[in-house]
Amino acid sequence: MNRWRRSVGEIQARRRQVSECEQAQSALSKVTACYQQMATCLGSNTDGSSLREELEETRALAHRICTGMHRRLLALLAETEQVQEDREQVERMWVLFLCALENFQQDLRKVSILQETFPLGQRKDRRALVNTGATGGGSEVAGRAATVQTPWVTTEGEKKPDLKSHVLEIDGLLQEMLQRVNVPLWSVEPTQNAWGEGCGDAQDEDDTLEEIMEVEVVSQDNRASGCCNHSNCKLGCIFCLLN
Amino acid sequence: MEAVVLEMQDPKTGVKSQTQRLVITTIPHAITGEDIVEWIANRHVNLQNMGLIYYDYFFFIMLRKSLSTFLSQTPYFWPAQQWPVEDTDYAIYLAKRNIRKKGLLELHEQEQYNNLHKWMNHKWDFIVMQAKEQYRAGKERKKPDRVVFDCQERAYWVVHRPPIIFTQQCIMRPRVKSSVSIGALVKYTTTYKQHDPFLYPCLPSNPWLTDDVTYWHLNMPNVENPTKMRVERWTFSFGELLSDPRGRADFRLFLKKEFSGENLAFWEACEDLKWGAAATMQEKAQQIYKTFLARGAPRWINIDGKTMEITVKGLSHPHRYVLDAAQTHIYMLMKKDSYGRYLKSPVFKETQKKAVAPENAKKRRPSLSPIILRQQEEEQKAKLAASGPVDITQLCRYTAPVPHLAVYTGICENQTTASPGLMTLPNSAACPSPISVAIDSTPASERRFDSGPTSSHFPSIAESTEASVSEESQPPAAKSRVALSLSRLLRRGCNAPSVFASLSPKCAVTAGGGKVQPLGEPLAQPQLPLRRLNVMHKKTLVWFLRVS
Repeated sequence: MNRWRRSVGEIQARRRQVSECEQAQSALSKVTACYQQMATCLGSNTDGSSLREELEETRALAHRICTGMHRRLLALLAETEQVQEDREQVERMWVLFLCALENFQQDLRKVSILQETFPLGQRKDRRALVNTGATGGGSEVAGRAATVQTPWVTTEGEKKPDLKSHVLEIDGLLQEMLQRVNVPLWSVEPTQNAWGEGCGDAQDEDDTLEEIMEVEVVSQDNRASGCCNHSNCKLGCIFCLLN
Repeated sequence: MEAVVLEMQDPKTGVKSQTQRLVITTIPHAITGEDIVEWIANRHVNLQNMGLIYYDYFFFIMLRKSLSTFLSQTPYFWPAQQWPVEDTDYAIYLAKRNIRKKGLLELHEQEQYNNLHKWMNHKWDFIVMQAKEQYRAGKERKKPDRVVFDCQERAYWVVHRPPIIFTQQCIMRPRVKSSVSIGALVKYTTTYKQHDPFLYPCLPSNPWLTDDVTYWHLNMPNVENPTKMRVERWTFSFGELLSDPRGRADFRLFLKKEFSGENLAFWEACEDLKWGAAATMQEKAQQIYKTFLARGAPRWINIDGKTMEITVKGLSHPHRYVLDAAQTHIYMLMKKDSYGRYLKSPVFKETQKKAVAPENAKKRRPSLSPIILRQQEEEQKAKLAASGPVDITQLCRYTAPVPHLAVYTGICENQTTASPGLMTLPNSAACPSPISVAIDSTPASERRFDSGPTSSHFPSIAESTEASVSEESQPPAAKSRVALSLSRLLRRGCNAPSVFASLSPKCAVTAGGGKVQPLGEPLAQPQLPLRRLNVMHKKTLVWFLRVS
């Protein structure tokens, strides 16, 4: 068959795969965002074994998505067919996937260290938790994460690695990705414009929240520098406690 | 550091926390800044680390522009060396803020956003996507928690990506031309060079070199008549005048005559507040307000309206530096106005007239090395050992002082028997020495008594003191020896070295009254029981010295 002519079926299959990957990308984003939100509760008074379990589950989900995506993207990129519009898209996805993996790995590292610093094994450990003023745990967030579906069938579930080896696995994955596929990162053009996300749909309930969260960082006008008149105070209002 | 922060959390021994009301919601575990400071002060935590605590581990919620409460930072946002702060994260954070604030970011944030967008262009889709997702994930939480989390995140980024104005302020320090700064340096050195003890001789003499402490006595903080050099220093600058207690006292006197003493009193009170204990600060501030600042106050100071306003406002939450503005104002007032008048005033002129101008003391021989001193003493010992035998009967006419006297002249050959316990450091009290060694109780002295006959030095002293009583004439040699030994004796015991030192230039003695006791020196002269030298003896000694 002429290599420039592909069957409709092939094209459709490929398109389906690409859209799967796109969905997976957004799913991964969602999951990692939830993971991060939950990770911020670690070590605080809202920490608990349930939070940690939820973290684990979320991580497992992320792992599944990652491995699946990795395989598919590799397959997509490996095809020698140089279809222009597809290529760009797939390359972009590849780069975004790389970024997402790096980001997720960082969070995993942090979580690993925090879990070690604040173990929950014994009762006295609970006293070591920092009172941060938060009341709820990350359970709502975990719920959100749980709603994420991998676009592909979950029969390809591999054994979920534990935290540390997960970090190392991603390390290996990243290295492999960077070596195997020759996609220059900077060649990817973003689809979003700068400041584009700010023009999103208006959220009404946020207005009251804005008033509450008024935190001034920059010092006021009538003061030259620092928040109090003391000459040594170079801090902004937010942190000055020269007493 | 983390340990300290965790300690603060302890419900029993940590900083006390309260629930903070925040518009429509409440936030638990809020702590006030004062509580933190108090807790830290009680724990004697190294204060260098205190700044760190405030930066990284705490942040606060500002309620309607009143700096009141703090919250602990969640450990996820604690500073840690294990992971670096990534630009990607900051970009995501900015994008998130953009979503929330719909484009109304702060100026520095906008700048950073644009920069990051340029550098991370290829990642921008990811960043936006992640920001959106994080934003939506955050919305799942309860409202107060959202507020808290937002504050936590903001604090984290203020620390790790501070607004550029802070760094700019550090960079935009005022710069001075080197010619100007060098000129200032030259001026300073020219003015102060005569007052520098390294460059010019101290008057009368540098105590460290000549062991003569007159200089220190003349320059005591509250001496009646200061030295001329000191008075000259006061004319250099107002700061010099104020920092010297004698100068300040003089200035105070002058101000009293001018009926403007409250300025100085206020300034001193402010200094007290600044450097005083934290516990009394509140009351001190109130006291100062009542005395100096309030309307109709007994010692009302005259500061301009704006400063007064700022000060009074600050006094509602007093801290160490709340009176800084007023203090500076008063300082400048005194400097520009009163200081000039003071320098022309009769008070100052009087002080100048009465100022002491010590002469440069005659060049005294600096201390000889102890080795040489020891040698000389050994020689003298040997010399005296060569003279006649001890006449024990002579000894009995006097009580124990005699052998001690002999010992102190340092020519006892039984030095080895003298226990080191007898040697104490030279006294620094006024003559006579308060050190008294009960003759009967000293074992060494008894030992010396026992070995009496072998001591050959006794005759010289015994003879001399006998002679003093009986007024026999002494052989010149003995007399000179006596003069030597007695003068040494007195010098070592008394604190008036200069008088005696000049009388015996031949003596190779430690200048300065032998203040420095060489170690292992067998002379037990510090134990001179001068007390035992009654008036008769002293008169005699003087007679001797006069004669010789």
